[in-house]
Amino acid sequence: MGTEMEQERLLVVTDQVAVSVSAVFDAVKVVREGVEQIDPLIITQASLDSLLSVESSSIDDVVSLCKSLEFPSDQLLANLSRVLKPGGRILLYLTSQSEVQMANSSLERKLLLAGFLDIQSSGNKSVGVTGKKPSWKIGSSFSIKKTSQVLPKVQVDDDADLIDEDSLLTEEDLKKPQLPPSDCEVGSTRKACKNCTCGRAEAEEKVEKLGITMDQLNNPQSACGNCGLGDAFRCSTCPYKGLPPFKLGEKVTLSGNFLAADI
Amino acid sequence: MGSMEEKFDEQLLILYASQTGNAMDAAERLGREAERRGCPSVSVLSIDEFQPIDLPNKEAVIFIVSTTGQGDNPDSMKGFWRFLLQKNLTREWLKGVHYAVFGLGDSSYQKYNFVAKKLDKRLSDLGATAIIERGLGDDQHPSGHEGALDPWMSALWNMLYQKNHKLLPNGPDFVTPDATFLDQPKIQIIYHDVEEGIPPLSSAKELKYLETQVERARSMTPGKFSGNDRPDCFLKMTKNRLLSRPDSGKDVRHFEFDAVSSSIDYEVGGVLEVLPGQSPAALDAFIRRCSLNPESYITVQPRDAENHDFLNPPLSPVKLKSFIELTMDVASASPRRYFFEVMSYFATAEHEKERLQYFASPEGRDDLYQYNQKERRTVLEVLEDFPSVQMPFEWLVQLVPPLKTRAYSISSSHSAHPNQVHLTVSVVSWTTPYKRKRTGLCSAWLASLDPQQRVFIPAWFRKGSLPPPRPSLPLILIGPGTGCAPFHGFVEERALQSKTVSTAPIIFFFGCRSNNDDFLYRDFWLSHSQKNGVLSEDKGGGFYVAFSRDQPQKVYVQHKMREQSMKIWSLLTQGAAVYVAGSANKMPSDVFSVFEEIVSTESGVSREAALRWIRTLEKAGKYHVEAWS
Repeated sequence: MGTEMEQERLLVVTDQVAVSVSAVFDAVKVVREGVEQIDPLIITQASLDSLLSVESSSIDDVVSLCKSLEFPSDQLLANLSRVLKPGGRILLYLTSQSEVQMANSSLERKLLLAGFLDIQSSGNKSVGVTGKKPSWKIGSSFSIKKTSQVLPKVQVDDDADLIDEDSLLTEEDLKKPQLPPSDCEVGSTRKACKNCTCGRAEAEEKVEKLGITMDQLNNPQSACGNCGLGDAFRCSTCPYKGLPPFKLGEKVTLSGNFLAADI
Repeated sequence: MGSMEEKFDEQLLILYASQTGNAMDAAERLGREAERRGCPSVSVLSIDEFQPIDLPNKEAVIFIVSTTGQGDNPDSMKGFWRFLLQKNLTREWLKGVHYAVFGLGDSSYQKYNFVAKKLDKRLSDLGATAIIERGLGDDQHPSGHEGALDPWMSALWNMLYQKNHKLLPNGPDFVTPDATFLDQPKIQIIYHDVEEGIPPLSSAKELKYLETQVERARSMTPGKFSGNDRPDCFLKMTKNRLLSRPDSGKDVRHFEFDAVSSSIDYEVGGVLEVLPGQSPAALDAFIRRCSLNPESYITVQPRDAENHDFLNPPLSPVKLKSFIELTMDVASASPRRYFFEVMSYFATAEHEKERLQYFASPEGRDDLYQYNQKERRTVLEVLEDFPSVQMPFEWLVQLVPPLKTRAYSISSSHSAHPNQVHLTVSVVSWTTPYKRKRTGLCSAWLASLDPQQRVFIPAWFRKGSLPPPRPSLPLILIGPGTGCAPFHGFVEERALQSKTVSTAPIIFFFGCRSNNDDFLYRDFWLSHSQKNGVLSEDKGGGFYVAFSRDQPQKVYVQHKMREQSMKIWSLLTQGAAVYVAGSANKMPSDVFSVFEEIVSTESGVSREAALRWIRTLEKAGKYHVEAWS
């Protein structure tokens, strides 16, 4: 606002139309000791536009005299944060009668969500919550951890007389290879991998049955004549695939090949 | 072209780096195809049988290399690769050498075929000339790696012919007609009349008998079991305890074994390799099907034993049944394409012969893949599906997949349990595409053993990817599911050490489906995270569990890690080592991502810088991963 005073700048905002000086001082006492020297800027019926002319990071303390718990709105609160200097304090002071505990926690939450730190409720009698603007500027960068940016040295028993074999590979070689189209059985969709670990193979096993009827087993027929000769002669779509050889018309013995169940 | 022909032999060298046998199989197939096209000199070798210093002298070298899940070389390639990475090799070192690379990988992994890609680039940087562009086989392809191998091979023959006619004197397309051409088996069987050994009367003799049988049988086929013929020890199971809840859908066991044959030694983080037993019923069925006499005694030798550098004294005979039981996987592993090809020669029923020839042909490749590889058809099942095939025993010995040991992370500390070794094993079970229920050979067999029975288990001790930590090293451990096994040993060991020396803290992140279903070793972890235990917060440690299914959203170890971001960073700055173990293929890379996040957030550096720093940790031996699938 153009004053060159050395003393700290104080901004008071309120949703009320008019506010008495004593009310202001009562609130300010919470954050300041000597109120006589202060010359606060007081904005009544404060809204978002009210702060347009206030420079960012120019205010040491903000006191908000709130009639309702809804004041200040989140957006106004963000603006108040803007004008506050880093490290500056804010006090939300409720002027109307209200349940102290509930009101305090509601105000605390407001400040918390707006990014203030060191949030404290000021006692049981009066309703007021203070907070502090974080002391780093928005947009400044700093390292979160102490990192050296240098990795520990590793002792390598070097074969200094051998070339680096990785240098023999080209960019092309290093790319993940394209799998050729799946060679699973004709017409099938995605199947479990050979060494499936995720459980798909087991699930598939449960779902698929033998795919052959009792009738076909009791009285096997073969149009092509090859089905009875055994797997070596059967087509890929033969219903008897996997079963032992049989003679036409004679029942197919399922346990014929003891090796299937053996070690 | 002229100068090249003068300088080098007309020789085709095929080098393979195989982890599970697929690359070896592809390489052998390549060799056969070259021979059929009249190539005068073909040599197929495992890459660790070849001296890299000889590379500049070779005219044409084909590399068939697998990439493991974490983007690493197979073990057999590590020495060769180290050699190739030397800085002092010049850009001219391999000038004049022609090469081609085929990689076997899986595109569902981030580091897809990294080994082949890096090898291709390095060879070319060293001055070698590529015959054709590198081929990349992909397990995710409808017919697996063969899908890429077939077209790549045709291109190879064409280009090879152009570069040097003498390599393929009959032209690239000439192939000896299949119907009449069958290679000779590479081995011969000698039958003996001598009977060896009266049935043993005591368990000590029984053990000795078993020891000799195992060693003899597995030494007879050179190259198949290198390193795994003579067991380090024999074990007897003393405990078989279910850790998971019955009916939870999971079957996870805690096994304890006593060493019975000789004293053992191992470190925490080590690996136990176990030779599984095979079902007596399956063995009998195989022997009957192949019309063999189980009681006869045999020795197995390379067919041209005189020409081989095979200086070992001829081995004593073994019982045929024992030989099959100890070396030939008849009821678990699937045979390879070549098995079907050879079967077709020995099929007497016309429709079987046709079908087998079809399966062995390029046209039938996809159908073979569906019937055989994807379905995990066993040798016995295949033989029973083609009943007219009578394959001579020599061919069976050569082509039936070798019985492989299975490796498990050791979950005990030897200091805490002298002369014992403990394992944490999840019994593998799945449903095949044809809806048949199958279980893992070794895990199911171990689960079926009764500690009251006297079963002796051949076993080997190996170092894993998790080096044992000093007591003063702070640890960050991530081990969901059975990944907790090695860390069980770590904690046992450190708890013991803490009684005599001061020990650094451990934070351990465990994950499982549900508190009730599969919280493995719950009481053990909890007891060590209380009262100043090595996992306790009082000692600067911690124990955190992610239950993935106990709530609607999935919670995994990486989520728990994020919650402990500061603690993890604090330990990392104190020089902690990170150990990750477990069985999911995505888990290690998800964990790595979280570390990037944590390092970046806590230290304030960029994500890229964090990534580089963690890579340095890897190189310094402070970040270890043991992942299995």
